[in-house]
Amino acid sequence: MIRYLIKNNFKLMFRNTWSIAVMLLGPILVIAVLSSAFSELMKSYEGVDTFPVGYRIQEADDAVIEATKMAGEEAGILFYEYPQGEIKDVMEKNELSGFVEFSEDKYTVYTSADYEVEGITLKYFMNKVMNEGVDASLQIKEQAKIALPVEQLEFMPAIDSVDYYGIVYIVYFCWCGMICATGVLSNEKKYGIVRRFRVSNISESQNFLGKFIPIVLTVAGGMAIATVITVLLYDIHWGKPLLSTVIVFLMIAAGAALGMMLYNISDSLVITIILQFTIVWFLGFFGGSFETYMFSSMPDFLKQLSPIYHGNRALVELSCMGESSYVASTVIYSLAVTVICSIVAIFAGYVRKRGKA
Amino acid sequence: MGNIILKTTDLTKKYNNKAVVDNLNIEIRKGEIFGLLGPNGAGKSTTMNMICSIVRPTAGEIELLGKNPWKQKKEVIHKIGYIPQELAIHGNLKAWENVELFTSLYGIKGQELKKAVGDSLEYVGLLERKQEFAKNFSGGMKRRLNIACALGHNPELLIFDEPTVGIDPQSRNFILDKIKESNAKGATVIYTSHYMEEVEAICTRIAIMDNGKIIACGTSQELKKLVNSGHENITLEEVFLTLTGKKLRDYAE
Repeated sequence: MIRYLIKNNFKLMFRNTWSIAVMLLGPILVIAVLSSAFSELMKSYEGVDTFPVGYRIQEADDAVIEATKMAGEEAGILFYEYPQGEIKDVMEKNELSGFVEFSEDKYTVYTSADYEVEGITLKYFMNKVMNEGVDASLQIKEQAKIALPVEQLEFMPAIDSVDYYGIVYIVYFCWCGMICATGVLSNEKKYGIVRRFRVSNISESQNFLGKFIPIVLTVAGGMAIATVITVLLYDIHWGKPLLSTVIVFLMIAAGAALGMMLYNISDSLVITIILQFTIVWFLGFFGGSFETYMFSSMPDFLKQLSPIYHGNRALVELSCMGESSYVASTVIYSLAVTVICSIVAIFAGYVRKRGKA
Repeated sequence: MGNIILKTTDLTKKYNNKAVVDNLNIEIRKGEIFGLLGPNGAGKSTTMNMICSIVRPTAGEIELLGKNPWKQKKEVIHKIGYIPQELAIHGNLKAWENVELFTSLYGIKGQELKKAVGDSLEYVGLLERKQEFAKNFSGGMKRRLNIACALGHNPELLIFDEPTVGIDPQSRNFILDKIKESNAKGATVIYTSHYMEEVEAICTRIAIMDNGKIIACGTSQELKKLVNSGHENITLEEVFLTLTGKKLRDYAE
């Protein structure tokens, strides 16, 4: 029986022109707007090869300074010592893009409005070196030449705004796939179709799959069309298309399961849509959907909590590097969300169907 | 007992400690067209919903074809054809797709499903229009499609919850004829409506329900005899108003 349920729900979702239009036009318009808005920023960042930065030591471990300089060279940041003078005057006189003042337990980064992108890059670099490179810098005391584990992606190769937003907004809309089911679910409730289902042999898991599978197929179809259109319109590079497709598909499934779970718990389409969009907005906020994750000042643990961050990072790295260590975490994260949300959704549906005496 | 298709014993449903259905005891025999009448809020739809295992009873027992529909749902639910008061169809599906969807919920598939869809649509006079979207149908056609969606699995008990609301006399007449035809073919029917003349025309036995209880039950002639109105040509509506009162019932069921 589930075959017919899937088939007809799929037809219903695909015939809901409003939701299909949102899923198709949404990414196309948002990608156009954001990639255009951020193109200058990311282009200038892309154009940065190496840039000079001054530094001054108040009280700091020499090994840390040396390690910072070495990692900086690899990232295109050249450190020059200026022990004296007003920092502002030194920066202007020597055309420095930034300045770092090292103390015993802190460092201060000075940036210039004339070198905005270099300033952001320097802040991010220092944050990475100081927060993640401590262990390695201790090793430097014993071994003369060990590079700090500074992640390379943020510095080379750079990704342009069209590729970045072209990828992350396909990801973002994947998580909003529940919108495709709004027509079916509102009809079911409004016209008492839910009661027809209850007076039948259908189980809660069949009922769940009868909606979950069509949502995934509809969103996948919509996203495939949106992706092809955006690739043709904006020349977006997806790196490894097959692997990227698998990742996107898994995230569509996770988004659909999350939506179904919220619906079965709340029993309200309005609450479901509000909750899902809020959750996805926050996941995207931490995950690089709005501010690129490269320049994001969000705490790292918050970024890591967002499955959208893992997905964005995996796909962006696949696009610009051809490989990514985030592929595995994206797959695991998406599968875990799908399985857990599906189980909760089926259980919630069962409890609701059972009713209260 | 073998002749009894539905029996409720002290069936009760309470919402917030208020009994909507209060110790209801009814017996419906195989082959009957059983009419359930009552003002708004009398508990008719709640009773139907409990019988169809949509709403869980607070207390009491339901025996449907010898089984408890709440405990042995899989064994008995496919024997029920439920026609809800609302037009429980998808406007964005074609007529045949609607019937296919709801008939398939009973495990019917393949050629058997195809035949059941065709038979159901033919039965309600919509076979010629099977390729049209339900949203483009008139009110009467939607009502007929609503019925077709509950017939495909060939149920033994048909439960009609006000199936003729808001349709023209031709469609109403057609639906009533089809109910009688289904009954003649062996189906037992439970029929709720506010239209007294409909109930009187097709029902073999009628129960009048108010405040969650059956206040009178019998053939239309027996009900008329219950009320001593002083004139012979008393209508079922007069009986109904005498038993349930003329006070407006403005609360929802």
